[in-house]
This record gives sequence, C-alpha cells and structure tokens, in this order.
Amino acid sequence: MTEKTIPTLNFKEKAEELLPEGASFEACLTCGLCSSGCPASGIENMDPRKFIRMAMLGMDKELSTSKWIWACTQCKRCQHVCPMSIDISQLVFLARSNWPREKKPAGIVRSCQLIQSTDSTSAMGLPPEDFVFVVQDVLEEVREQQPKFKNMQAPMDKKGAHFFVNQNSREPMSEPDEMVPLWKIFDIVGANWTYSSKAWAAENFCMFSGNEEAWREVIKKRVDAVNELGCEVWLNTECGHSYYTMWNGINRFGMKADFKLESLVTYYARWIREGKLPVNSDWNRKNITFTVQDPCMIVRKAYGESIAEDMRFVTKSLVGEENFIDMQPNRSANYCCGGGGGFLQAGMTEHRRTYGKRKFDQIAATGASYVLTPCHNCHSQIEDIGHHYRGSYGVVHFWTLICLSLGILGENERTYLGPDLLECI
Amino acid sequence: MSEEDRHFSAELAVIGTGLAGFAASIFALKRNIKTAQVGNTGAVAYTTGYLDLLGSLAPDYLASIEDPWQGIEQLRDSHPRHPLCRIPKDDIFTAFEQFTSFLGKCGIAYTPPGEFNVSGLTPAGTLKPTLCVPATMQVGSAAFSQKEPCVIIDFKGLKGFSSRQVVANLKDRWPKLSSKRVEFPDMVSGEIYPEVMARSLEVPATREKLAKILASAAGDVKVIGLPAILGMHAPDLVREELEQLTGLQIFEIPTMPPSVPGIRLREMFEQLFPQKGVTLIPQQKVDRLVFIENGAQLSLNDSFGPISIHAKSVILATGRFLSGGLKAGVDGVSEPLLKLPVTQPDSRREWYREKYTDRRGHAVNSAGIEVDSSFRPLDNHGRPYSKNLFAAGVILAHQDWIRGRCGAGVAIATAYKAVEEVEKLLK
Ligand SMILES: Cc1cc2nc3c(=O)[nH]c(=O)nc-3n(C[C@H](O)[C@H](O)[C@H](O)COP(=O)(O)OP(=O)(O)OC[C@H]3O[C@@H](n4cnc5c(N)ncnc54)[C@H](O)[C@@H]3O)c2cc1C
Ligand code: SF4
Ligand code: SF4
Ligand code: SF4
Repeated sequence: MTEKTIPTLNFKEKAEELLPEGASFEACLTCGLCSSGCPASGIENMDPRKFIRMAMLGMDKELSTSKWIWACTQCKRCQHVCPMSIDISQLVFLARSNWPREKKPAGIVRSCQLIQSTDSTSAMGLPPEDFVFVVQDVLEEVREQQPKFKNMQAPMDKKGAHFFVNQNSREPMSEPDEMVPLWKIFDIVGANWTYSSKAWAAENFCMFSGNEEAWREVIKKRVDAVNELGCEVWLNTECGHSYYTMWNGINRFGMKADFKLESLVTYYARWIREGKLPVNSDWNRKNITFTVQDPCMIVRKAYGESIAEDMRFVTKSLVGEENFIDMQPNRSANYCCGGGGGFLQAGMTEHRRTYGKRKFDQIAATGASYVLTPCHNCHSQIEDIGHHYRGSYGVVHFWTLICLSLGILGENERTYLGPDLLECI
Repeated sequence: MSEEDRHFSAELAVIGTGLAGFAASIFALKRNIKTAQVGNTGAVAYTTGYLDLLGSLAPDYLASIEDPWQGIEQLRDSHPRHPLCRIPKDDIFTAFEQFTSFLGKCGIAYTPPGEFNVSGLTPAGTLKPTLCVPATMQVGSAAFSQKEPCVIIDFKGLKGFSSRQVVANLKDRWPKLSSKRVEFPDMVSGEIYPEVMARSLEVPATREKLAKILASAAGDVKVIGLPAILGMHAPDLVREELEQLTGLQIFEIPTMPPSVPGIRLREMFEQLFPQKGVTLIPQQKVDRLVFIENGAQLSLNDSFGPISIHAKSVILATGRFLSGGLKAGVDGVSEPLLKLPVTQPDSRREWYREKYTDRRGHAVNSAGIEVDSSFRPLDNHGRPYSKNLFAAGVILAHQDWIRGRCGAGVAIATAYKAVEEVEKLLK
C-alpha cells in the first residue's frame, strides 16, 4: 500500500468562503492577543497568529501538514479576545477534514468509527441492548439496597416524556454506579424523563475528527430519536462537547428538531431556585473549598454568561458562598482544560499536558481542594494534569455533590470523593 | 429547534467596551443608572496601563508637558473644539478620581490624579508623561527621579521587552541602572508571552521560585524593574509578596502589546460589572440601533442567538478605526452604525502628510463625529440626532489622541460628561 499524503489546502481561499464579512483574515492586526491567550501557543512551534500569517502568505503546504491542528482544541478563546473576532477554529476544522483518515490521530478516528458502529452512537461502541441491560441491572440493585429509592425509575423509550436525557458512555461502560446520583435527582424533583435505547450516547468525536459527514449522521440519529419519542427537551448530561456538537450541528446541517436543547446545569439551578432540590451547604462544616471549571463548549461557545452564572449559583448553594473560589480568568474568558477537541483521544499526551499547564496554574492559584465541572472531558483532563503536575485537588461531578448535600449518596457512588469529603457524609 | 430570544431593558445602553465605554458604566453605576453594555475587545487590551490626560500640545507636539491642566488651558485658545476643552477642569479631575478609585477598590490600585504629569517608563526606555499610573509601576517613576541604583530584569524567551534596550536608552540620565536576563521558572522553551508569566505568578509556588531568582539577580542592589508580569488578577498582592520574599523594591514597566496591564483591566471589568448589576454582553457588536419614542432599540447576536436591548438612553463609545467606530473607505470616513456625519479632511489626499512619522500627525487622525454641548451627536443638519443619544471617547472629532497623548483623558472625561447628561435626561 502506498503511503497517503496530506493534500494541500488553499487556506486563504477557504477562509474567504467561510468567514463572515468583517471577520476575514485580512482584518488581522497581528496584535497577538490570540496567541498570548491560547494555551496551544508554542506547541509544534505554532500559534494562532502565526497560523493566520502563514495562511495569508500562502504557506499552505506547511499549514496543511502541521500537527498543531490536533493540539488546537477549537475552544474559540482566540476569537473571544480578538478585536476583529477572527475565528481560527473553523480553519482548524477544515484542516482536520483535509487529512486522510490514515494520517489522523488514530484515537479520534476510532472513537468516531465506534460512534457510527451502533445505533447507540456511543464512542465506546456499547450497543443499545447492553445499555438497556446495564441500566436495568443497576436500577434493580439500587432499589434493593437503598430503601429510600425502592420505587425509583430509569425509564427507557418512554414516549411523550418531557426530558430526553442522554448519557455519557463512560458510565454504563466502566462506572455504572455513577449514573445513579442523577436518577436520584430526577426522582426527587419528580421529573418526567426518559432514556432512549437508540442514540442515547452523549459524546461525539466525529466533529473533532474532521469528518463532517459522520458528524451529520450522528446528529441526525440523535435528532430522529428525540423526535420519535416526542420529548420536549433534549437534556444534555454533564458533558460539554455533546451539547455543542448537537446544537451547532442542528444549525449547521439545517435539521428539523421539534424540541429544545437544554443543559442539566440550567435545570439544577432552576430546581434549586424553585425549592425542588433542597440542597444546602450545612454538610461542609470543615469549609472544604471548591472552584468550578467553565467548559468552553457550553459557556464560551454556546450559552455564554447565563450558564456560567447558573453554575456559580449551584456551586455556592452546594458548598457555601465562602467556600467557593473562582478561577482566573473565568466564564467566557476561561481557558480550555486541554482535554477537548479530541485531545484526550488523540494520544498526544505530552502536548496535551503542556496545554493543560495553564489550567493547572489556574487551579493551583485558587488553592481550592476540589474542582467541580459539568463536563466529562474536563473532568478527565483536570484529573490527569493534577497527577502529572503534582497537584493535590480532586475533581467531582455536580450530581455527586448534590446527592452528598441531600444525604442520599450511596456507598458505590463516592469514587471521586477524597477523605475530607467522605468524612462529611 | 425552538429558541428563545433574549431581551433586556435598561435606562442606559453603552455601546463599546473600550476605556470610554467602561468609564461610562462606572460613572453610571455611581449614579445608580441601570446600565447594559455591549462591545468587542477594544483598545483597552493594548494599553500600557498608564492613564494619560494630556502629554503634548498641537500643532507640533514637540516637548512633553508637565502640567496637563495648564495644557488644557492652552488648548482652549488654540483648539477650542478639542473634547477636553468642552469639559470643566474640575469635572475632568473628578472623572479621573472616580475612575481610579473604582479600579483600586476592584483590586488594581492606581495613583490618584495629581497637579502634574508623572514620568512613566516605556519598554523602549523612554519616558512618557502621564497622569495616573498603576501602583505596580509607581516605584519605577520614583526610582528614576531619585536615580537610585537599579537592575532591570528581562526573561529568556520573552519578546517585546528587552532590559538592555531600556538601560541603553536611560543610562545617561540614570547612571546606576543595569540590566540582567534570567529564566522564568517552569516554562517550556520557546516564545513566552507576558500573559502566561503573569498568570503563573498567581500561583504561590511560582512566586517562591521566581523570588529566589530575582534576589540572586539583584545582587547588592535594592530596587529592581521587571516587565509587567506581576499577576493578572491580583497584581498588587503579587508584587507585595514578591517584595516580601526578596526584600527588594519591585516595579513593573509596560511591555509591548499584547501587554498585561491592558488585559488586566479588560478582565477585571468583564468580571466585575455583571456582579455589580451591569448587563454586560462582552465580545459582541451591536448590529442595529434604532431610536423609537423615548428610547432606543439595540439588536445583536451572540453565539447563542439574537438579543435585543431596550434602553431609554444610549452612549455611543465605539472608538475609531481600530475598533470599528469609524470606517475608512474610498468615499471617505464614515460612521457605520447610524451613518452619522463625520468631520474629516475634504479629500483622501489630505488624510496623511508626506512622511508617516511627521510629528504633527495626520489630518485623518482628528476625524470624528460632532456633538453639541451636551455631547449629543449631530446629524446632517447640525441638530442632535436624538435627544436620547450621547457620545464619548475617541470617536469624537477634533483630537489626535496619539500625538496629544490624551487617549485615556478623552475617553474618561467625555464619558463622565455624557453620563452626567444621561442622568439629566432620565430625570
Ligand atoms: C496600542 C495602543 C496603546 C495605547 N496606550 C495608551 C496608554 O498608554 N495610555 C492611554 O491613556 N491611552 C492609550 N491608548 C489609547 C486608549 O486605549 C484609547 O484612547 C481609548 O481606549 C479610547 O477609548 P474608546 O473607548 O473611545 O475607544 P476604543 O478603546 O477603541 O473602544 C471602542 C469600543 O467600541 C466597540 N465597538 C465598535 N463598534 C461597535 C458596535 N457596533 N457595537 C458595539 N461595540 C462596538 C469596540 O469593540 C470597542 O470595544 C492606547 C491605544 C492603543 C491602540
Ligand atoms: S487577536 Fe485577532 S487581530 Fe490580533 S493577531 Fe490574533 S487574529 Fe489577528
Ligand atoms: S481555538 Fe483555542 S486552542 Fe485553538 S487557536 Fe484558538 S485559543 Fe488556541
Ligand atoms: S474539555 Fe472542557 S474545557 Fe476543554 S474543550 Fe471540552 S468543554 Fe472545553
């Protein structure tokens, strides 16, 4: 077999087709704000300003083959700080699409293939029947062992449910007990919800692999599944890119979706405000400190300030206002953790950790004992850089802390609690 | 997909998030005016951190002036239409006072306005006349005037700041000045941005490591100057701790853009305004502005969809060419949002003098919109465009802030005046 080569893209031409008026590369002032604020700057000797300069100079061959495009997480922070609103991530997406499949980082390609391989759309390839089985199995166990929840439901394919809830594959696949806290929360607030046996999975690496057709297919399956069950709200679990790829995909591919896309965080906040989730911070007698990671996929790239505000409201309600320390910078200006864009799947460990050093510094500066984040990738990456750079913090999901505060966190649901939090139960 | 439009209402909508826009929101907060603000990254992210009132005088902009207040008096005779001449001196003073004390309360301490300009050090090793300086830079001006022994330190891999250049240019006026280059702790090799260093200095462990390096670089000298990297979010604290750890006096010198002091200001505003009740929609531009009875309707889009704002009054603080408040085209200079008439040279040929570096500046850099005595923009007939519309900042005509070194002065003083007029209107 002959070795495939990467074709050369004409970046300047593509940019002109792609970018809205006024956001073209020609408007670049070469001010460097983007590079200064990009955690991928310097990796593979590239940075966003340099990328633009090279595109303008027609250095297409170099750009087409630069590995840096796999280190840029498409977090759009560069655009956020750019006075001209220049969006480099779109070109990065193009450049990724341009690589022959054999050359792309195998981990991302494989994740996308697995997503396409079953009706589950699961990046771990978990087929629908296995998902149904695991949910049922775990549910039965909880009903038996936790009397408070002996009538708890985890509905499957329930037509007309208000919420269609998706699920990150990592839980049913490798830590099934982590699904339980969320079910308990639904139980307490009396939510009318359902899982679906089809298109239940959250993750979507097809976008990151630069495979637009596959991305479209995945979104199509998911949209169809929600439409079929007639749910009003597609409620996205604690996962960042699953929201963005769905929301952005529906718009991009002009799909008809008869439902709203919402994030769990918004509902946590709403239920707490409405008194349906009676959480408080009384349990935190030792004043354990927390910070939050704003996932760029739902904050900067989607909802913006409103969800950032909700996250803070939920966090403060859970841990006590005085025990919350914001990272700097935060909200829409936050740094991507370096786990996004398929980085965790791409096998470029050293680069990923270099990128993550900024996140590590941000967390270390807060001095907080725990990072709360509603994103699976952020969670994994922040844990990894914590170990790598010898940090001493833990990372927890919101659902864990909500159930902890409500005094309903089961024995098997405490994986992410350190000794200090375990003592508070 | 079902989407909801987001709608906000406010007494005042500030368009622009440069110094003028931010200053306007500060003054509005002080007067309890309910405010919404929209804007993209403005020139504020590029500033040195120095707040200039007036540094040199037209027509030749030759010598730096020591007394900006007297300078404004002179301007009144020579350039009565300069925006600074249309505001009482006491108001300008109060504006600077309120602005700097707000910054101080929010964690970035500044020197208050005084009677005279101070000399700010620049990365080129020159001195710049300015009115207020960040507390982190204050020691530098003092050390210079005392000519104390001092080491300027720079870092391997950092572009946009060279201690040797600073020293080379200052040496004849500051004989006991010397330079050193050191390595910043725990940085991967290659180009390092000041922003990255500043953020990593927010981590106590990095400060401890850097303190050891600085102490050894200083030798017997007791005062050191660093590029502006002393933290992003809590610069005064970072400096204080480094001083304690090293036993030295430490000050910052601005670097070339993108520099930390500007980013500090922008991030601080973006974070604090929402907490203080301003509806801030950062990093977006207003697409459409229409005036309706008793107010205005602003339309824009963020990544999530359409947003509309209804406001009883509007301050237009959209800056000049860099920020898009004015547009230069083949037919001349225009104001894109409302198509306000722009005062400008008669033809494109008169925009620039022959030599780009001509000290007298270029005519196009005094282009801008006209306002009445209440800072209401004028329409084609010389009448206020709307009784609810005001303007502030460098979008105003008859000033060349680059040559006159009056960027912050024009922005802050006119914002103060515009908000005062807004308050009158709302009453
Ligand atoms: C490189 C550089 C260095 C400088 N250094 C100094 C210094 O050391 N000291 C000093 O005193 N001054 C300095 N200045 C000048 C100072 O920053 C400016 O004078 C001042 O920021 C002008 O303020 P402004 O708010 O009027 O305009 P700008 O700062 O230009 O802000 C205009 C704002 O309007 C926004 N805008 C435009 N169109 C729209 C729209 N349609 N909708 C919404 N928003 C819109 C822009 O996004 C921007 O936020 C410097 C400027 C530059 C460029
Ligand atoms: S921030 Fe924007 S204008 Fe500045 S160099 Fe980057 S892309 Fe160009
Ligand atoms: S999208 Fe994020 S990672 Fe990529 S260049 Fe922009 S800031 Fe850097
Ligand atoms: S992993 Fe988190 S921070 Fe990184 S891109 Fe995804 S959502 Fe953003």
